[in-house]
Amino acid sequence: MNSAYAVELKGVVKRYNEILAVNQVDLNINTGEIFGLLGPNGSGKSTTMKMLLGLVKPDAGVVTVLGTDVQRDPVAVKQMIGYVPEAPRLYEFLTGIEYLDFVGDVYGMQAAEKKSRINEYLKALQLEGREGDMITSYSEGMKQKIALIAAFLHRPKLLIMDEPLNALDPRSARIVKDFLQELKAQGVTTIISTHVLEIAQAMCDRVGIMYRGELLALGNMSELRQMAKLPDSGLEDIFLKLTGTGDIRAVVEELLK
Amino acid sequence: MNWKNVLRLMRVDRKSGRLLRGKLTKYRENKFFAYWAYWVALAIGLAVGVLVSWVYTSISAGDSTLQAQFQVGALSLFLSLPTLVLILSLVFTMMQQIQRSGVKSSSQVPYWLPITWQEHALASILASLLGFPLASIVFIGSAIIVFSIFIGQVFAAVLTVLAAFAAAFMASAITEVFRILQVRFIGAVYKSTGRAAVWVRFAGSLLFFIVFYAGYFYVTYGAGALTFIQTIASAQSTVWFIPFVWLGMTLFYFTSGVLLEGLAFLALSLCFIAGLFFLAVELNRRFGLYEPPAITVSRGVYVPKTGFLGRIGFSAVEAALLRKDFRAYTRRRELMTIFIVPIAMVMVPIMQSLNMANEPPLGYILSMEATIFLLPAFVLVLSLGSFIIGEEGQAVWRIYASPISPKNLVKSKYFFILFFALVVLPITILVGIVMYHPSLPATITAVLVPIFLVFALGAISLSNGIKGADFTEVPRPRMIRVKWSMINLIFCSLAALAVLAPFVPYVLSIFVPGLFAAFIDPYLAIAVSGVVAAVITAVFYRVAVKNAEELLSKAEV
Repeated sequence: MNSAYAVELKGVVKRYNEILAVNQVDLNINTGEIFGLLGPNGSGKSTTMKMLLGLVKPDAGVVTVLGTDVQRDPVAVKQMIGYVPEAPRLYEFLTGIEYLDFVGDVYGMQAAEKKSRINEYLKALQLEGREGDMITSYSEGMKQKIALIAAFLHRPKLLIMDEPLNALDPRSARIVKDFLQELKAQGVTTIISTHVLEIAQAMCDRVGIMYRGELLALGNMSELRQMAKLPDSGLEDIFLKLTGTGDIRAVVEELLK
Repeated sequence: MNWKNVLRLMRVDRKSGRLLRGKLTKYRENKFFAYWAYWVALAIGLAVGVLVSWVYTSISAGDSTLQAQFQVGALSLFLSLPTLVLILSLVFTMMQQIQRSGVKSSSQVPYWLPITWQEHALASILASLLGFPLASIVFIGSAIIVFSIFIGQVFAAVLTVLAAFAAAFMASAITEVFRILQVRFIGAVYKSTGRAAVWVRFAGSLLFFIVFYAGYFYVTYGAGALTFIQTIASAQSTVWFIPFVWLGMTLFYFTSGVLLEGLAFLALSLCFIAGLFFLAVELNRRFGLYEPPAITVSRGVYVPKTGFLGRIGFSAVEAALLRKDFRAYTRRRELMTIFIVPIAMVMVPIMQSLNMANEPPLGYILSMEATIFLLPAFVLVLSLGSFIIGEEGQAVWRIYASPISPKNLVKSKYFFILFFALVVLPITILVGIVMYHPSLPATITAVLVPIFLVFALGAISLSNGIKGADFTEVPRPRMIRVKWSMINLIFCSLAALAVLAPFVPYVLSIFVPGLFAAFIDPYLAIAVSGVVAAVITAVFYRVAVKNAEELLSKAEV
């Protein structure tokens, strides 16, 4: 890997017919950073994350992940990434353990390593005893745990996670948060997309706010406060001000009529 | 009962079945596909009615005896139609139900919207009545009403149409009862069978299909259908106590002018239908929110699979995909239907031969041989190849996000098609050989040509299955878009003709001895057929890899 950045986007544009999903985005994410990618619905976050995975081809610009041009070698890039989509659909006809075994094989893990890691994660996230049941009978939280384990299993260098703490019980959510901090210390880069801004504020080193396909703001909390001119505010107020969606009071009053 | 709620629910159900994939990832409703079946059924029905009436007037002009015979025959047909519609509707609605996806029923809106169980049950019954059952009634109704004008039986024809509609409702209500019962009681079976539940479900589903199709083919296929109609028309009064013939009995008495008995059977029919409806409502109320128990497949220490597929040349990724697909096809009920294809193909000639009294003509035997030797390969590979990518459903993101190359994907999916087809084919070929005792060259042809077809059509279907994959899962997994399903059928038919073309002189020489005598060498025909199949396979395998590259770079979920 030649670059100091885990992720580099240069002049990236993606258009779906008339809709400009991503517009001239330049973004560098440091190795070992926990980065929050925020934005209202339809702001271009999912398209950006799909471009990082090589699933969507940009109309213009270059996307480099861990030193590799995503479009040139998407399989190699995916090998280094762990991905958790929002509300992940799993193969419900498999058992939890069969699903993780499948994912381990797909990432080329050795049998012994795969076995020990699966067992460790199942124990940590309290799925022991249910791993032999078909996933169709799992609760949403259990499915989310399986999706998270599947992302962590092969020890990726980059984690891309869309609402990773969705449906998790408090204990599991705390484990995941602490685990991501430990991974950060080991040099693993994490990109989190979430609408729960308290989580983003608490976990992320830097935050990028997307709005209408553009990267509206980028920086750590103090930099964002300066940009928004809200010196003592939290991320929620900053987000609402920067995205121009701060007219909440009027909307609520309208609803109460 | 709020009838507007019933209509709304029906509309939602039918709309969900009419969604077609538009460009990009947006969905759109196609109004043409919403109603085309009924218009086509009406047009064909009217055409059939006019044709039969023309034949009737041409043949029986001035011959009162023949006219009377026609009228008696037509009336017999009318009397059997409600039962026939009931059976057809039952088969269709049951199959539709079985193919529904396994998405948890409690996620459906009736469970959290203010809708009563009566409204839910009625909408469910009527929604499954729409589609094929209603189209078949439109077809039958328009044909017999046109014909009845010429034979002076309009009253009987109108009553028949009404009875056929009631029969279809009866069938749909039975299916609704079956739906709830199978959720509740099969759940209990799974619970009691523990780890064997997966295999109990697999064997149980196959057994259900076999019994179902055996009965269906026996009463509806070829000569059996005619026998069946004659039997119902003549013998339904002897089995009057069976509720399924009460509509036919009503029709019989009304058309005979015996009003009292007619009214009695009409009342009985209505009571039976009402009883079925209330049973469906009650079962919905009791078990509608029932969640089947978890199926535990394995317990104890996890031991990763090592091996066999790796030793025969598959990478870890390909082997993992193959194992997953094997589990999908043995655990997902909507995919298990694929296993019934070869069984059904074998059943057709067997049922035909059971219904035959005399030695059939040579042409007929040849067509049956083709059915048993070639059709399983054709239909099986065509279906499997076109479904095997779309069956991933919404979980396909796992494939997109994983380090799986287009070549990995195509190799594993293609091998799965070959493996499955090559396991099934020896069984169908063996049954064919036992039934028809072909000569040595014919036996060699019967063994090799289906294999050629499997390779060639497998590659074509897979390439089209990738190109036209539809990952929609609700209300039933679509797996392939309609347009690509049609394209696949055309491509496969043309390819099958190309593979079979070298045998045309041989088949013609059977009917016209001496013709093409110079060209007839079965072994040469087999060799040419094999080369044609190999070329098609190589070309379409490459096309499949290209299509997979496109699929993996588009991430369409």
